[in-house]
Amino acid sequence: MESLTDASLKALSLLVSGDAELWAIISISFGVSLQAILYTTPVALLTAYALAHFDFPGRRTLVSLFHTLLAVPAVVVGLTLYLILSRSGPFGDLKLLFTQTAMVLGQMALSFPILVAMGHSALQSADQRVWETAHTLGATPLRAMFTVMHEVRYGLFAAVIAAFGRIIAEVGCSMMVGGNILNYTRNITTAIALETSKGQFAQGIALGIVLLVLALVLNYSLSTLRHRLAMQA
Amino acid sequence: MKPPLFLFRHVTKRFGDRVLLNIDEFAVSEGVCTLISGDNGAGKTTLLKIVSGLVKPDSAKVQVKDVEMSWAKARAKIQRSVVYLHQEPYMLDTSVERNVAYGLRLHKEPRASIYEKVAEALRWARLDHLAHRNARSLSGGEKQRVALTRARIVNPSVLALDEPTTNMDQQSRISTYQLIDELRNEGMAILVASHDQTGFTPIADHHFQLLSGKLIEVEPAFKRSRGTNITRLPG
Repeated sequence: MESLTDASLKALSLLVSGDAELWAIISISFGVSLQAILYTTPVALLTAYALAHFDFPGRRTLVSLFHTLLAVPAVVVGLTLYLILSRSGPFGDLKLLFTQTAMVLGQMALSFPILVAMGHSALQSADQRVWETAHTLGATPLRAMFTVMHEVRYGLFAAVIAAFGRIIAEVGCSMMVGGNILNYTRNITTAIALETSKGQFAQGIALGIVLLVLALVLNYSLSTLRHRLAMQA
Repeated sequence: MKPPLFLFRHVTKRFGDRVLLNIDEFAVSEGVCTLISGDNGAGKTTLLKIVSGLVKPDSAKVQVKDVEMSWAKARAKIQRSVVYLHQEPYMLDTSVERNVAYGLRLHKEPRASIYEKVAEALRWARLDHLAHRNARSLSGGEKQRVALTRARIVNPSVLALDEPTTNMDQQSRISTYQLIDELRNEGMAILVASHDQTGFTPIADHHFQLLSGKLIEVEPAFKRSRGTNITRLPG
């Protein structure tokens, strides 16, 4: 087993030298998570808007449900999706198990409640006068919705950043439905788990550095947005 | 005499057991300024929002061009014709220029035409020097003028103003009276809900008091001489 110093030096060397395998893993990770966030965000924000804007029976129950789903472990989402996509499951014929599509679906399921819960909070904080002003000046309900969203955009960006941070760092779901196949479904977190189990830490540390840098960038972006939100208030 | 743009009949609105509004008839006519006064919580804002199509009454009939229909059926027509201005107008988080352009951009006018109209409107409201400032950084009086300009530019038939001079200094109030008077002279129907009776009475053609849900005419309609020098009005 290599020492921590040796492993860290090797990790830096792998990152700097542009190691093909390492950068393929990073690219799969970003590709899958960006796709998941891109597909989920519009539907989740529409759901959040409906929950914040319309009064209908069961609305409060739905809001509570989305807050509860925030606490569901990634591995449980992975297990559920595994059962649905496995050969004997209802969608087994689609042969999606151990594909990037399955990983995207899993990350969509993980990010949806975060986007809805945080988006709902942001949209609920919007001043009622925004909607009334838009409407009275001739906006259609759809256009009024976009105006409201624009006015709370920092809160919505914060929701997207938080959801992206959660899905790119999850391991349970990707491992179960992706299968950790090299150059296909092996992403940053599943690669770290694998390399650690083999006692080879250099690649794991290099990927860990990438995740840490990403976490730093996301947190800095979030704090900047929170600052702008406070200024806006 | 022209028929009213909208004639609201049997307007009722309850909050729980309390009957907030129970109005038999209320006319909104072209080029007429109507002042509605009343205590806090009397229902002035609710009435203006019903007339603007923003709040649904429990019951109401609306006569539009001699055709009577339910409020719900008339709502789209009302919303196309009436612009409601809040007591504290909401300023979109962008420049004064873009705030004023908002309504025109909704109607998909060509960009050049929009900004030409916006520049003209800002000159009218003497706000041209603030065109590129963020509208949220303006004073209360300036925000009210931006809101008036933003409403005027979409050329509504009716303007419903909720306490437009609250928290304003004397100069801003005079400026607001002048702009409202000009809008009425342009043919717009103006509805004002305000405690500021002294300032608006000389501009208003009708003055109603909202008392126990009913509209009571305070003084008969009078013909005001156009061109009243508002700067001499007491504040």
